[in-house]
Amino acid sequence: MLNLELVVLATLLGGVVAYLLSMINKRVGSAVTILVSGAVFSLLAYYGFGNSIDQTVELIPNFVMFKVTALGTFFAVLVSFVFFMVSFFNPFFAERYKYPNAFNLLYLMTLAGVVGVFYASNFITLFVFFELVVWTSMFLIPMGKGTKASITYFVFSTVGSFAMLYAIIFMAVGFGTTDIDTVLAGLTGTAALIVYGLLLVASFAKLGAYPFMVWLPKVLGNAPDPVSAVFSGGIEKMGAFIAVLAMIKISPASAMFEAVGLPVQNYIVGVIAAVTIIVGTMMAIRQDDAKKLLAYSSAANGGYILLAFTIGNSVAITGGFFHIFAHALASTAAFLAIGVVTYRTKTSKISELGGMIHHMPITYVVYLAAIISMAGIPPMGGFISKWLIFQALIQNNLVFLATAAFIGSIGSFLYVFRPLAALFLGQKLPKYKDVKEAPLLMLIPMIILTLLSVVAGVFPTLFLPMINNIMTELGFQTLMTSGFQIIGFNGTLDPALVAAVFGTGVLVVFILFMIFPKSRKVGLMDTYTGGEFIYTEELLHYSADFYAPLERLYRKEPFVNKIYDSIRIKVEELGAFVRYFFFTNKPEVTVFWIVAILLFIVWGDII
Amino acid sequence: MEEIRIKNAFPTQETAEQRGTWTELGDYFRRQSIWMLMYCTGCCAIELPQAMTTVYDMERLGMGPMATPRQADVLLITGYLSLKTLRRLIYSYEQMSEPKYIAAFGPCVLNGGIYHDSHAVLNRLDDYLPVDVYVGGCMPNPESVMNGFVDLMNLIKDGKATGWKRYRDNHEWYRANQIAAVGEVFVHDEFHE
Amino acid sequence: MILGILAGLGIALFGFTLQSSVAGINRKVVARVQKRYGPPWYQEFLDIFKGLSKRGVTHGWIFDFGVIMAVGGIIATAMFMPITSNIAAFSGLDNFFIFVYLLAVGMLGMAMSASGSGNPLASIGVMRALTQMFAYEVPFLVIVMTIIKVTGTSSLVEIMAYQGQNGWFMWTMPLGFVVASISLLGMLGKKPFETFIAPAELASGPMVEYGGKHLGLLFIMMEISHFIEVSLFVHLFLGGATTIVGYLIKYFLVYTAANLYSYLNGRFKIDQVVVFFYKWILPLAVLQAVWVLWR
Repeated sequence: MLNLELVVLATLLGGVVAYLLSMINKRVGSAVTILVSGAVFSLLAYYGFGNSIDQTVELIPNFVMFKVTALGTFFAVLVSFVFFMVSFFNPFFAERYKYPNAFNLLYLMTLAGVVGVFYASNFITLFVFFELVVWTSMFLIPMGKGTKASITYFVFSTVGSFAMLYAIIFMAVGFGTTDIDTVLAGLTGTAALIVYGLLLVASFAKLGAYPFMVWLPKVLGNAPDPVSAVFSGGIEKMGAFIAVLAMIKISPASAMFEAVGLPVQNYIVGVIAAVTIIVGTMMAIRQDDAKKLLAYSSAANGGYILLAFTIGNSVAITGGFFHIFAHALASTAAFLAIGVVTYRTKTSKISELGGMIHHMPITYVVYLAAIISMAGIPPMGGFISKWLIFQALIQNNLVFLATAAFIGSIGSFLYVFRPLAALFLGQKLPKYKDVKEAPLLMLIPMIILTLLSVVAGVFPTLFLPMINNIMTELGFQTLMTSGFQIIGFNGTLDPALVAAVFGTGVLVVFILFMIFPKSRKVGLMDTYTGGEFIYTEELLHYSADFYAPLERLYRKEPFVNKIYDSIRIKVEELGAFVRYFFFTNKPEVTVFWIVAILLFIVWGDII
Repeated sequence: MEEIRIKNAFPTQETAEQRGTWTELGDYFRRQSIWMLMYCTGCCAIELPQAMTTVYDMERLGMGPMATPRQADVLLITGYLSLKTLRRLIYSYEQMSEPKYIAAFGPCVLNGGIYHDSHAVLNRLDDYLPVDVYVGGCMPNPESVMNGFVDLMNLIKDGKATGWKRYRDNHEWYRANQIAAVGEVFVHDEFHE
Repeated sequence: MILGILAGLGIALFGFTLQSSVAGINRKVVARVQKRYGPPWYQEFLDIFKGLSKRGVTHGWIFDFGVIMAVGGIIATAMFMPITSNIAAFSGLDNFFIFVYLLAVGMLGMAMSASGSGNPLASIGVMRALTQMFAYEVPFLVIVMTIIKVTGTSSLVEIMAYQGQNGWFMWTMPLGFVVASISLLGMLGKKPFETFIAPAELASGPMVEYGGKHLGLLFIMMEISHFIEVSLFVHLFLGGATTIVGYLIKYFLVYTAANLYSYLNGRFKIDQVVVFFYKWILPLAVLQAVWVLWR
């Protein structure tokens, strides 16, 4: 039996140990983070799937109580796996931070907080650990470039946290207890709607849904690379967890939107999710910085997850959980691949790089597999989840939401291809002549993530039992499978067959390829230039403004900033109003106040 | 011009070479669908649009225009041969995929034509790039052009269109001639650097 | 499953032969329209085998690997395609979404290989091809979503059977038919949506560095992908076929109509393509879907 509070406390203690050891030698401290996160992941996975985690609490004060659920186990194992994989990058980035000791300490404290959030039994525990994660990650961000990103993150997280706090207090006053299951099951009527809305605000702030998506590109673009990977693969999933609590555990009964068979508030959340998908995709298409592009992609995929949960039938919810799983793997792998590029070349701007595949081929293959999964192409895991979500969308006649999902799906081909073509492929720029492949310790987690993605795509039924446990716990029917096939509403999918057919096709072509005459190898600069003799590589490399014709169509659309600009102007006007009336030395205002106060005092006598 | 050049060292192949069955099959495909590189060097190129369009349809021979040297089979040298053009021609010819052919139009590539005493024109293309078929006329009318293409197809059928092998086997001789004529072949363009 | 895979390879070979012959016949038809003779009907085969027999160049392992992945993906997609209701390799498992996404694998492979050649014209061509796919694919998917919901299945063989009983979707969903025809023109890469090849602008776009066997394999890929797209259109809107002769006639008519129409048009710019599809075609598709599903 594994005692959960010991795990949490040991992680915190491990953070302190890492801090102390980092003061002696930075690499040793980072190695401690690897060991501790690896231990957390393996213990949680082993004992969690064996259903033998002990949830008694002895050492921490009384209000912290844990509860082991299949939902919590799924999320905790996934996120601790992401932390473990990313921690392999810590020793290499250690010397670039301003405070490397604090980095290791904060990394492990974040992990402890995340595990606590997923296993919380009452809302106070949830809130405490939630805030712990916000505080520790807030101090991790500025170790990259600049500090303004951290402030943006804090502001949006605060909005979410206050909404959640208000919901908690509302429920505590109404029910007298803060235990999650009793409270959520007992909500009815307008109280249910209010709590639903508030918890969803908290979830949007964490996931980066519209209109809270402003913090994602700023933070993920400016934070150090391991932190970006952990954010995208791990911390945003906390937002998905809160969304599950809000949407699935509370089912407020209200008016139904007849044509699509969904309650109205679900449809509104679906519309917000659809707008997130579209805005995230369009903004990602025009980004030049690879990390910001992947940040917008994380926001768009968060929209897919929300969309899956709003539909609310078993196929959709299974699709949502599978998408959380597949997206965590793919997004972490993509961020780690870009992290390798940043480690070797100190930049991640696409317009400055080129031809990296010739220096780092394995990183290229990892990135390629990650984007195939993110775009939802077989034979990787992303295809399964997208297929399930599309099945659910079609079944419920959701025309507009399906249009948005399709736009997001096809648009994802565009933005994932941009770093591939402009950063990895293309001409080899001479200033990166000496760039080498990533060190072995960095290659290990990337290869593991890629292999897992492939297995998830070819044999998804291996991972379905983990999700089926959650479905039975939440009270839904599990997904029908038959052997290796998945049965949806209007068709059957056999991923193993698709992979086998794809492999056969490639094999046939490979044999054909080998039969015909061998080509002669020429350099990259020996290319068709219309007869001109060109010797500078930058002239033949197409990377800046990659989608220029498409971007020109919406170049002036700020999408989100208009709302915040108008809020800012209103706040400034309110401040000016207050300053005019209360903090002035103009004689006319003083006369006004004298007359008003005199009138107020003698009111009783006059009337 | 200079003594380096040996005149008439490699006359056009009179006898066919020995071919295996796969090569003969390949030649069957290659002669039925020749793609030309749309690189029109001089005045004889005016005759090409007539050969491509309605009356003298080139497509019934299987020929058609293609955009880049990598995809093309035949390089049509239509007209006089100035020094700058020769550099680009050599560059494009070396980028083409083997087996490749050259068809030269007009008298300017044989002996200089009406520009034979100009300082900017080279008189004899065969010293610099191996030519497979010549089409006569200044400029050749479209029937002659079609006739030239059919001659090229027959040369391929008989196995006599082996200019590319000549170029490959005697590369140093051709390169010496080219350098003697134009100086630097792959020039560093002073406008762009 | 082995039997199914062999049957699938047979279907892919049949599709390649069919499309190459139909394309060759079309070259003759277009030539006659333009008052000239035109090449023999087997000209496409000659072009492809000539390409395969030449010795081209390669720019590295990604150049070769991309082409292999592209053609392999397209052959895999073709293996799932049913010819008639009776001739299909994997009946019941040929989900429509598999076609859409495996076609995307083909395009991704070609895009990787084109960009790996180091020529900026190839990258620009790939960018235009992806943008064009972004434009035409979304209305098509909306219409197919409507079809799937109406028939209750996403397997092509069963959609064919449904149309046999309830009438072709060409008549029952006319707006959808219009949308799908225009999307078909975009998919085939014919004018007015020929931006990504654009021979005179971009020196044939992604194919700029391909010679020899790469070019031959890429032509095979284009033929098989045309076969898949026209077959999808025939199965989804024209009721498929129960006999092979009916299928051949419908296929030939659709391809010839698309080809002849394309010769009457010039070429759009890529931002005009995107604006056209999103301003006119997508609202039509959504209108059709709402009309059918929400009434």
